[in-house]
Amino acid sequence: MTFSLRQVRRRFEGRAGPVAALDGVSLEVAPGERLVVLGPSGAGKTTLFGLLNTTLRPTEGTVQFEGKDVAGLSRRPLRAARRHIGTVFQQPRLVPSLSVRQNALLGRVGHWSLADALGAWIRPAREDLLRVDAALDAVGLRQRALARADELSGGEQQRVAIARVLVQEPTAVLADEPFSSLDPTLRDSMAELLLGVAARGRTLVAVMHDVEFALRHFPRVVGLSAGRVVFDLPKEQVTTALLERLYPRMGQEQSASTPELPDALACAR
Amino acid sequence: MRWPARGELERGASPGRSADAPRERDPVFRWVQRVLLAAFLAWCLLEAQVSPAALVSPAALEGIGRLLRGLFPPDLSPRFLEVVGAAVVRTLAIGVAGTVLAILLAIPLGILATPTLFRPGAAAAGTGPGAWLLFALHLLARGLLRVFRAVPELLWALLFVVAVGLGPRAGALALGVAYAGVLGRVVADLLQDVDPSPAEVLTASGGRRESLVLFALLPQALPGLVSYGLYSLECAIRSASVLGFVGAGGLGQELQLSMRLFEYHQVSTLLLALLVLMLAGEWMSRLISRAGQSSRESGRPPLGRVQRWLVALGGFVAVILSFWGVDLLGGADTGLLGRMGRFAAQLFPPDVSLAFLGSLRVPLLQTLAVAGAGTLLGVLVAAALAPLASAGLMLRPADAPGQRGLAGWVAPPVHVAARALLALLRGIPELLWVLLCIVAVGFGPFAGVLALGLHTGGVLGRLWAESLDEASPGPLEVLEASGASASVRTLWGAWPQVRALAAGYGLLRWEFNLRVSALVGFLGGGGLGLKLYNAIQLGFYDQVSTMVLVILGLVMLSDRLSDSVRRRWLAPAALRREWKRPADPRLEIGLAS
Repeated sequence: MTFSLRQVRRRFEGRAGPVAALDGVSLEVAPGERLVVLGPSGAGKTTLFGLLNTTLRPTEGTVQFEGKDVAGLSRRPLRAARRHIGTVFQQPRLVPSLSVRQNALLGRVGHWSLADALGAWIRPAREDLLRVDAALDAVGLRQRALARADELSGGEQQRVAIARVLVQEPTAVLADEPFSSLDPTLRDSMAELLLGVAARGRTLVAVMHDVEFALRHFPRVVGLSAGRVVFDLPKEQVTTALLERLYPRMGQEQSASTPELPDALACAR
Repeated sequence: MRWPARGELERGASPGRSADAPRERDPVFRWVQRVLLAAFLAWCLLEAQVSPAALVSPAALEGIGRLLRGLFPPDLSPRFLEVVGAAVVRTLAIGVAGTVLAILLAIPLGILATPTLFRPGAAAAGTGPGAWLLFALHLLARGLLRVFRAVPELLWALLFVVAVGLGPRAGALALGVAYAGVLGRVVADLLQDVDPSPAEVLTASGGRRESLVLFALLPQALPGLVSYGLYSLECAIRSASVLGFVGAGGLGQELQLSMRLFEYHQVSTLLLALLVLMLAGEWMSRLISRAGQSSRESGRPPLGRVQRWLVALGGFVAVILSFWGVDLLGGADTGLLGRMGRFAAQLFPPDVSLAFLGSLRVPLLQTLAVAGAGTLLGVLVAAALAPLASAGLMLRPADAPGQRGLAGWVAPPVHVAARALLALLRGIPELLWVLLCIVAVGFGPFAGVLALGLHTGGVLGRLWAESLDEASPGPLEVLEASGASASVRTLWGAWPQVRALAAGYGLLRWEFNLRVSALVGFLGGGGLGLKLYNAIQLGFYDQVSTMVLVILGLVMLSDRLSDSVRRRWLAPAALRREWKRPADPRLEIGLAS
């Protein structure tokens, strides 16, 4: 299994005592699988994402990546594991003062020793540069390779973030609301890119709340609500009733004539 | 203590990314730039006689060993503690008396230096021959303030020691003159910047200029004046502890004496007292600024009548005691002004013979080299310590993954140690470092380089650590999530974000060191200062005045440099991270101390 979560709870210290963001979640993700996690705001999606990309540790239960218990790892093996997990965040999170090419190169940081990192300032390794060029070709930004990252538009920046993941060549890709900062016309081309990244046998786990988009592209759908898994089904079996359990207001608003939402639900049928 | 130029941040506020303009030039130009910089630094190292080998030579190691052994245990005998206590009190007295003198000088000079009051054509200026006379006085006041500011405090102290003799009196007078230069400029700026409408009303109803100043301008400028006055009090106390190195009384004089007598256990007691004084000053000013803010923002009721009288009385008594403590009270010495006048007369005319000017070339170059090499050393020290002192890079929540191993345990103590080391490096003034470094490497420019480098490293290290903490965390998290080690994260995630700001701070320290490097010679650090000190000892006062003019030129040059640095590097970077108080002089504290 790429990811394997067993009875995971994660609590945060809130003002009125601990708050459980995840409350007993179990999930298995097989290699090469494409999975989307749906849920309303506050369902625990971001916490789940943090646990998967190993930057958070569960309060209870175990999180395994490729058979290794993440919580028990010390720094070095943890870094070795993270090398194989690529992440695309909601915001591109590029280093603003570096060039597009340097930002893409940062996909390799997990493999670098301090000497490599210093050397990369002067001249990056040849095979790294080849990877970067190929990745920038794939996202269509080869001509902008020498521009500063903060000169790019939001959509271009997100493409650089995807190039960075391509350069990393991870076994699993995680995406946290990767398109919500983009306008709808950019969304489809970006989705194509992201799915392309996952195409070569890589595992892809995306977290989002765009129901229509999720059901169109992901074969497996997990519904998360109040820190619990409500359903975990192939997309063909996801029904309107199930989605209404996730988004209870959606059902009410449907009658109150909200134009887009019925479409989203229609897609589920 | 220095002041940002008028409208500096407004000018810097032009949109666009001028801070990063060099990046847009072509690579050849950048390489030429780098090669030139490297050549200049190499020249500095050679000219300043920097030799790392001298640091580890047997003689140097023995000297350092003796110093370190001597520092423990500190001399805590009651008799010596009495001496230290008296020195601390005298240092405070010098600071307070100097600030009050400065304010007394600054208000009339500052009013005279206000362009909106005296420049021909200004509404309040009036006409006729009287107006032109006042305009001449106005220009004179501006020039005088400029000279007061530009001559370093320590040089003022040295001159006053010659004029009025050894002791705290010279220190208080030196501080008074040096700070009057800064505060007078502030008065003029404040008077010019106040809301003009009340003044216009008074002018329109035929008010005299005096009533204009008293009733329309000063009341508006008063709050700013008070806060600047308090700020300069803190700086003055800091400076007061250093002036003693040239014989102007206080802690510095005791330190110098104990160093010369090789009484290292006394030195260590005095050092502790100095550090406490410096940190107390830093803490006090933070407290005052916070108190000022909160009373303004919370709208707390102002002090009652009795409380106000008590505060005023306490302040008055403190001022009187300070003046008494520095021998400026009681009319014990009626010939004081006469002696000062005689000394001033001896300074003229300056010696501008070609032979003498030629002999200045070598020490002047050495001074420039000491500044360059010292800054380079400071940059290296800061680069090593700043990432360790940055909380954002070093500290992780205890329940984050990967914290169980050795690294999770080692990082917090290393972080604390790096911060403490930086505080120590910047807490000891450059000139005291000179005294300490002489023990290791002997007299000469190399001691000056080490001294500048260690202090600069402490100041820059803190500024850089703060910048690193303010780097946006998003890219760092991305790098961490894809398996980057802490050092790689720093190098590729944090450093690129802060490098423009860090380079700006570095350049600013360089220009600051330009003026200090002229002074390290007073204590044996080589360069122009040594020659000046010798000329004073030998009584060649015409040569002294020439060298003072040269130092003045050096300082004005470095002022120009720092103005352009602020505009091009710091202001845009500051705007990018949405600086909350752009005109905050507290930035200057970090840079000036």
